[in-house]
Amino acid sequence: MLWLQILIDGFAISSLYALGAIGFTLIFGVSGVLNLAHGGVMVVAALTGWALASHFGLGTWLGTLVGVLAGLVSAYVTWLLVVRPIQRSRAIPSEEKEIFVLTGTLLWGIMIQEGLAYLFSDNPVTMRPLISGVALIGGVRTPINEIMIAVLCWIVIGLLWLFVNRTRAGKALLAASMNPRGLTLLGFELSRVYFIAWTIYGVLAGVAGVLLASFLGVSTNNVGQLTASAFSIVVLGGLGSVSGSLMAAYVVGYLETLTAYLIAPTVRPLPALLLLVLVVYVRPQGFLGRR
Amino acid sequence: MSEIPRLAVRGLTKRFGGLVAVKDISFDIRAGEILGLIGPNGSGKSTAMKLIMGLERPNAGSVQVDGVEVAGWPPHRIARAGVGIMFQHSRPLHRQTVLEHIKLALLPDSLIRLAADPDVDRRAREIAEHVELGRVMNRHPATLPFADLRRMEMAKAIARDPKVVLVDEPFAGLTAAESKTFAALIRRFRDEGRAVLLVDHNVKSLAALADRVFAMYLGEYVADGTADEVMRNETVRRVYLGGKIETRERSPETVSDKPTLLQVDNVGVLYGKATALDGVSLTVREGEFVSVVGLNGAGKTTLFNAISGLVPYSGTISFAGNSLRCMSGAAIARGGIVQCPETRELFSDMTVRENLDLGGFHLPVGARRDQLAWLFDLFPILKSRQQQTARTLSGGEQQMLAIARALMMQPKLLILDEPTLGLAPVILEQLSKAMDLMQRTTPITVLLGEQNVTFALPHADRVYVLEHGRILWEGDPGRFEREMAHGFLEVVGDDETPPATRARA
Amino acid sequence: MKNLFRSRMLWVALAVAAVAATLPWWLSAYVLGILTLAYYFGVFSMAWDLLFGFAGEVNFGPTFLIGLGAYTAAIIDANWGWSIPLCVIAGGLVALVGGLLLALPALRLRGPYFGLVTLVAVLLLQNSIVIFAGVTGGEIGMMVPDVMSVSAESNYWIALAFLVICAVLLFGLSRSALGLILQASGQDPTGAQALGFNVTRHKLVAFCVSAVFSGVAGAMLVFYQGTASVGTVIDIGVGVQIIIAAVLGGRRTILGAALGAIVLIVASEFLRPLGQLNTFVVAAVALAVILFFPDGLLGNLLKAKEQT
Repeated sequence: MLWLQILIDGFAISSLYALGAIGFTLIFGVSGVLNLAHGGVMVVAALTGWALASHFGLGTWLGTLVGVLAGLVSAYVTWLLVVRPIQRSRAIPSEEKEIFVLTGTLLWGIMIQEGLAYLFSDNPVTMRPLISGVALIGGVRTPINEIMIAVLCWIVIGLLWLFVNRTRAGKALLAASMNPRGLTLLGFELSRVYFIAWTIYGVLAGVAGVLLASFLGVSTNNVGQLTASAFSIVVLGGLGSVSGSLMAAYVVGYLETLTAYLIAPTVRPLPALLLLVLVVYVRPQGFLGRR
Repeated sequence: MSEIPRLAVRGLTKRFGGLVAVKDISFDIRAGEILGLIGPNGSGKSTAMKLIMGLERPNAGSVQVDGVEVAGWPPHRIARAGVGIMFQHSRPLHRQTVLEHIKLALLPDSLIRLAADPDVDRRAREIAEHVELGRVMNRHPATLPFADLRRMEMAKAIARDPKVVLVDEPFAGLTAAESKTFAALIRRFRDEGRAVLLVDHNVKSLAALADRVFAMYLGEYVADGTADEVMRNETVRRVYLGGKIETRERSPETVSDKPTLLQVDNVGVLYGKATALDGVSLTVREGEFVSVVGLNGAGKTTLFNAISGLVPYSGTISFAGNSLRCMSGAAIARGGIVQCPETRELFSDMTVRENLDLGGFHLPVGARRDQLAWLFDLFPILKSRQQQTARTLSGGEQQMLAIARALMMQPKLLILDEPTLGLAPVILEQLSKAMDLMQRTTPITVLLGEQNVTFALPHADRVYVLEHGRILWEGDPGRFEREMAHGFLEVVGDDETPPATRARA
Repeated sequence: MKNLFRSRMLWVALAVAAVAATLPWWLSAYVLGILTLAYYFGVFSMAWDLLFGFAGEVNFGPTFLIGLGAYTAAIIDANWGWSIPLCVIAGGLVALVGGLLLALPALRLRGPYFGLVTLVAVLLLQNSIVIFAGVTGGEIGMMVPDVMSVSAESNYWIALAFLVICAVLLFGLSRSALGLILQASGQDPTGAQALGFNVTRHKLVAFCVSAVFSGVAGAMLVFYQGTASVGTVIDIGVGVQIIIAAVLGGRRTILGAALGAIVLIVASEFLRPLGQLNTFVVAAVALAVILFFPDGLLGNLLKAKEQT
């Protein structure tokens, strides 16, 4: 019974991790940016969604939608106000641009966290479930919401896969992650490609944030931890590899769930962190990353 | 008479995965001798230099400095054993003066010595004077012209009085006058009894300076001897020029009355402070096939990148009468100038078909289908390998894919940068045939940049010779064969290159 | 050494320090406390700048080293009651070991990977502290039985003296022959090797120096505040402040880092009345600095000199 519970809970949390991580790795793969404001984007979506749903009483579904939109907007702001100006700046030598982008996004994440805490306080909030009720899976009582979350995550992942592999715009995105110069030579404006990438990222992070709010609850104190989780998973899976992130999300999700159930909830993040250290020392490119 | 050569290299070999970059290379350099390493792109000469300096570890072979085996040593030990290197690119410390840079080169590799010997200052000044930097010793790098920055690198390389000096592309980015001064400085090193190994793309300047020349191709030895001997060597000529030159005169009437499509006027390009292009002008008319011929490092790629809007430039470039200056690279490509670069820039993890589809992205579905069909006719091999990943294709197939992908955009002007690089003669045949077919069946305009003169000439209506960032000659292929081909690799000697015989085409 | 004494910047800094030494006679204990904290942060930032500016390594988790020093000193004092100087030395030594541990992957990894390692190190340390709460006091932190002094003036002078000594040492190092080699190793490692310098060894030295200064400063901070907690010496936010301070003051100037730290802490204090928005504003200003003045205060001053 316990194992089934672990299986189900682990699956749900892993799916949520996967959604966030895929977005994170997509932005890295396409535009080379490690967005350390990632947690901020997710929490903006979560809190906006909650605010509209519960606080302003607009209902859960509408709240969710607006929450995702808020996530999208904050993704755009991150790109246009922080990332792009640094990348284009002539005052920063090109070898140091990466560091500046990292520091800049980190600062932006802090701004989001403090700004939201000012507006909403740092108390955790939970969104009311999209679908209430409990189901029995093999004798384990599981909230239907939890199942829905896992399903929604996979729907979004599936849509993304379809987009990237079956549409022409998606192929252009994939090509940008392989060879941006090649795309320019073929007449593609890279800024438009980046726009698409950040749009997708905003939606992914937004959905992940809102669903997290409804599953486990979210507060502004989670911003740092969410970013840390996402990049741990992405490094484990291999920077830039979407399938790697997917795989690593499940490894981490299950590691954490197992730890929480079998050892203690307080040590929850530790095994994944140790795994990360091991990987970084032994195989820095992660499971599926390209060197 | 020195018996032991200053630098003795035997059987030097280096593999990168499956690629053999340097294979069984052996040569000696005596004290007071300059050896020039030449070879087209990918010949392994830079790798050989890195192996000697210890920046790469050889898989096999020996490197001896005055009889002491140094192969496999870390670079700092080799440097202390008496080898100095002058890199092509360097990153000066902006807050330090020229003098301080030279002092750095004189410091011992110690962790505890916090103060430098008083002697160091005196010696640093002497060295600065020696390379003609005396006047600017106390200035910072940001204020120095390019040639002085290169002098600073030279000073660093010889600061510790090395027995062997490795010089990587000393003339790159220098004007002709500056190159002469530098050649004199390098000659002085030789006269001081050092062994000098010189690598440069500018074959003529190198040949004028070197006592002996060693030619490499694809990592292997091709020829060695005096500059004259090597330049006249059949294999060397074939490697550089591609063999016997044949031309087919295209009737000049077909194109001489067509309007100008591309006009390049007095274009200059600077990479940082290095001059890559200097006052280049050329014209391409509609329907023409123009070849720009020049050795590696002459500036062909820079010229094409300027036209494609990928590097900033001074001067004007206009296409069908409109200036290209304010357009983005992608906009220029969409506007009809499509470049197939030397590096091909394929999407290596995508299939042949996917690469082509991306090329035809901006076309309506019907046109895309038709264009694809036409290209599969032109390059049948691509049709059969449609679903194969680009990475797994052979070199020739990749080149064909790159050209086909560019053609998918239905360009008005197709720019091809060194398409024959590294390809086997059989593939060159196929490529040549495809170009022929393309020329005969479409009104396409082509600008080709090539080192391989044999490939560049047969299709061309007009030829430009680009050397060291400048246009040296212009005319039709027939005249090229009569006037330039013989002198193309010839050692010009110490004099200035004879003024360009500009043709009224 | 001549270089060091010729440096106008240093003499100006020493003059400012002399003035600063007189401040306790007309500032309140509260303000002195702010400055004391700022001085310790100054050492944190200078140590960071040494690693970045002079070895070319970006340490995203300077608090890993600081935290090691701080908690080692705290734990030893709380459990075995050693004297303060011994605890501080112990803290420095443990931080040194930490620095060597960080150095190992640094010398093998390229690009963003090393930065990630430093961040991971901090997270690990943070989690370990929380897990072994019995020894470390967990999230809340631990109290230390000894403090250096209870008087605000004494603490201030100790901190100021510490800052000045560290500044002279670190700045002197940066201006020495060794410093020149370190700079070359950081900015152009291939070039430095070709000039005959064992870059690996020099980078290790830079790590060690940065680690020791960070650890000792962290330990001293503990004996000033009387507590050690995650929020003051380990939290990523603290690390970010250190980096911002160094960037604000001017990368690769050492003295600029100290200046930046003082400006940052004093400015945060001025913004305290904003309440919760205080961190927000500091982060926003820091972001603006990164975008519009990436060379920082001293950096811009020095840029003018580079143009002669």
